[in-house]
This record gives sequence, C-alpha cells and structure tokens, in this order.
Amino acid sequence: MSALRVENLNVHYGTIHAVQGVSFSLEEREIVSIVGSNGAGKSTVMWTLAGVVERSGGSVDIFGESLPTKPHEIVARGLALVPERRRLFSALTVSENLIMGAYRRKADASVEEDMERCFQLFPILKKRLNQRSGTLSGGEQQMLAISRALMSKPRILLLDEPSLGLAPLLVETLMETILRIRSEGMTVLLVEQNATQALEISDRGFILEAGRFQKSGPGKELAGDPEIRKAYLGG
Amino acid sequence: MAVGYSLVFSVLNFSNFAHGAVIMLGAYVGLALATKFSLGLGLVIAGSVAGAGIIAVLNERLAYSSLRRRKAPSLYLMISAMGCAVFLENMVYATIGSRFYAFPEFFGRQIIDLWGSSVSLLDMGAFLFALAAILGLHLFISRTRTGIAIRAGVSDMTMCSLMGVDLDRLIAIVFLLAGAFAGVAGVFLGIKYLVYPTMGWVTNKAYIAAVIGGLGSLPGALAGGLILGVVETFVSTYVSSVLRDVFSFTLLIAFLVLRPNGLLGRDGEEKV
Repeated sequence: MSALRVENLNVHYGTIHAVQGVSFSLEEREIVSIVGSNGAGKSTVMWTLAGVVERSGGSVDIFGESLPTKPHEIVARGLALVPERRRLFSALTVSENLIMGAYRRKADASVEEDMERCFQLFPILKKRLNQRSGTLSGGEQQMLAISRALMSKPRILLLDEPSLGLAPLLVETLMETILRIRSEGMTVLLVEQNATQALEISDRGFILEAGRFQKSGPGKELAGDPEIRKAYLGG
Repeated sequence: MAVGYSLVFSVLNFSNFAHGAVIMLGAYVGLALATKFSLGLGLVIAGSVAGAGIIAVLNERLAYSSLRRRKAPSLYLMISAMGCAVFLENMVYATIGSRFYAFPEFFGRQIIDLWGSSVSLLDMGAFLFALAAILGLHLFISRTRTGIAIRAGVSDMTMCSLMGVDLDRLIAIVFLLAGAFAGVAGVFLGIKYLVYPTMGWVTNKAYIAAVIGGLGSLPGALAGGLILGVVETFVSTYVSSVLRDVFSFTLLIAFLVLRPNGLLGRDGEEKV
C-alpha cells in the first residue's frame, strides 16, 4: 500500500488548466521531489493535496483510503504541508506557533514530548520560545515552520521550497535534517528550486512542466542527466 | 459594543453592520426575561448573552458562511450585513412593534461621588461589567488553545486550517463571543435608555470608536471608545450638542482618510 497515491490529478484556476493529469505515488519512508520551472504547477500540486485548492478531477488516496477534501480533515489523516515562504503566524510567539501545530491533538504529555523532539532537531528554537515568530531570522523561521508541521504528528510531510531564501550552508543543513526526519519514519514530498540538492537526497524525482510530468526517475539519475541539468539545474 | 465589532472585523476582515441589530435583539431578549419572568439582573444578562450569541451565530451561518466559502470580497459581506440589519429591524417592527419599552429599575437612581465627580450607579455598573468582560476576553484570547487559534486565524486563515482548525467552527465561536458582548451591551443600553427597534444604530458610534482605535485591535477599541466619548462630551458642552454627531463623523472620515489603521491598528506590512 502506498502512503499516497495520486491518480490523474487535475486542477483549474478559472479557465487556466494548472495541473493536467498528474499521477504519482509515494511509498512509505520515501523522499520524492518534484522539480520544475516557475509556474509549472508545483505549488498548486502541494496546495491541492493539502486541501486548500480544490481539485477538478482525479483521485488521491492516503494509506489506501480516499483523501478528505477539507484541510483540517486532511491534517487529521496525517498529511502536513510546510508551504512556500513558511507562512508562520508572525504575531504569535514561537511556542504559540508550535501549540497551533498540535491544535487537533489533546494537550497532553505527548505534545510536550514532540516539542522536545523539535528542540533536538533545532536547538535554537528553545531559546526563542517567547519571541514573536516574525522576528526570527529566515533560517529560524524555516525551522519553526517545519517544527510546526511536525507537531501535528504527520505521517507524510509536504515541503514546498524549504530552501527558499536560505544561505547555501543552511540549505545543506536543511537537506540533512530532511534525511534525518525520514530516518525517523517520515514520508516526504519535496518541491524545490535548489533542484540538484533536492534530487541528490531523493529516492525518486519528477520533472513537472506546464502542469504535466515530463520525466521521472531515481533522484541521483535525474540530478546527473545532462539534459535536465541544462534545463533546470543551471548547467 | 466596539469589542464585538473588532472581534469580527479582525478575523473576517469586514465590518459587521448587523452587530447593532444583534445588540437590539439582545436587549429585547433581556427585556422579555426581566418583565415577563421578572428575573434578576444577573439572569437577565445571562439570558441576553445566550440569546444574542445564538442570534449572532445564526446570522453568520445564514447570511455570511456561503459568501465566505466562495471567497467573496468583503464588500459583499458588508452589503449582506446591512441587509441583515434592515431585515432584523423590520422583523421587530412587524412582530413586536415600534413601541419604546423600559426595563424595570435595576439600579436605583443613586449617584456615587467619585473623586469629586458624580457617577450614576448604572454607569458605574456598566463600566465595571464591561471591564470585567474585556479582561475575561483578553485572558481567553491569550491563554486558551481556542484563543490562540483565533489569533492565528487573524494572522493567516489558510494556514490556520492547515493546522487542523475547523474554520467553520472557529468562526462560529468568534460570532458567539461577539454576540455575547452584544447581549451585555444590549441590556445596559436598554436600561440606560430604552428598548426600541432602531436602538442598534448607536453601534455606528461603536464603529467610529473601533476605527479610531484601529479596526481589529481590542485595546484599540477600548481606547477609541474612550476618546470618542471624551470628544463628544466636550463638543456637546463647549460647542453645541446638536453638532456632536457632525464632529464624530468628521473624526471618522478624517481617520479613514489619514490613518485607516487607527491609533493601535495592525500595520498592513505585518503580513509579509
């Protein structure tokens, strides 16, 4: 059984056919990345899976059951999205952001435990607990955004451009963190502009162009494909 | 009153002009409890809070929720709100009639001497009650999980739903709270003045207060109410009480043009 199975997904924005019959699946504990140029529909796929954007056709199954349509029901099934540009609750403190992440769970000891686990991943957050999240640096904000998503105890994590705006060194740490999260049992779907690094850590990759998959294959293979390097990876 | 306005505005980003009508209905509920069942003040307020709360939630479900789901611009919501206000008022005209009703006397006519100025017991009671209610709301908003979710919704509604928050429920809670405040306001307004179908239009003042303070800011609503009250009193005393409303509305326009965020409002740039 796949963690996520997407069958012939279609999305329309008014008359624009943004996603045109995309199909793929995520196996448990896999890292899969979707790479493509701006406006290819990568983020649309992510927002659609999270339930914010309505799909106009196709089916999505999560662990063998069909995915609900409302965002809060989808979170309850174990799918969490870290959106592009992080979208933190900037007026709320770091700890309040984390509490929001755990909103659908009962406030008990396991929430505290998961907070501790986030601090193990990102020790700096512990020092910033009572700071407004809007005052954090870009790197810290990304750490908080990932932690916030982890607080919902997801089984599948969707990351949309997590490296956007981060210094190269931080991007490397981020990729290591993603590998670490996976080693703890997570299934990860990654959309990235830093395509080389994303494909390097991915088990499989897909190239999305104008709403359709053009190519797919093992991550390392795609990262090494000269044609793809030329088109998407900046030479 | 301004608190109820601000609460809804900050979450849904539109001015709920039906809030006045909810206050008016809250006053009628309180009135019925006080005269027909001759309940004490505490129970009258409790009943009015419950009644107005339920009315506010129904108002949202029936008039706003379908617009909200279609992501209609806030202007549509405002128009719908005005429609609701007119509808509710005329419904009262048609059923209960246009008569003015008075509450039984809850607070005698005693006057307390407070540092040299005299304040009626009623005003004092209203003030203390409002203070306690606002304090309670503040604690609710800053401490509880639902309160944090409301603030998160103010910051980013979509992300709030991605945290597992059922937006329909959250918004219902916001309207329930706003309605509860409307119930309190309705009873005190009714006691101080009278109960009649257009009494809710006083909320225009609450709207001005909320704009001055900064729509969407609770401390702002309080500050705006205070400033507006002081300005109106000064104008009535030193200029003319006829010109009072002219000043208030001029103030409103001045703020909308020069400082639409109000004194304590959130700046637009926070969203970035």
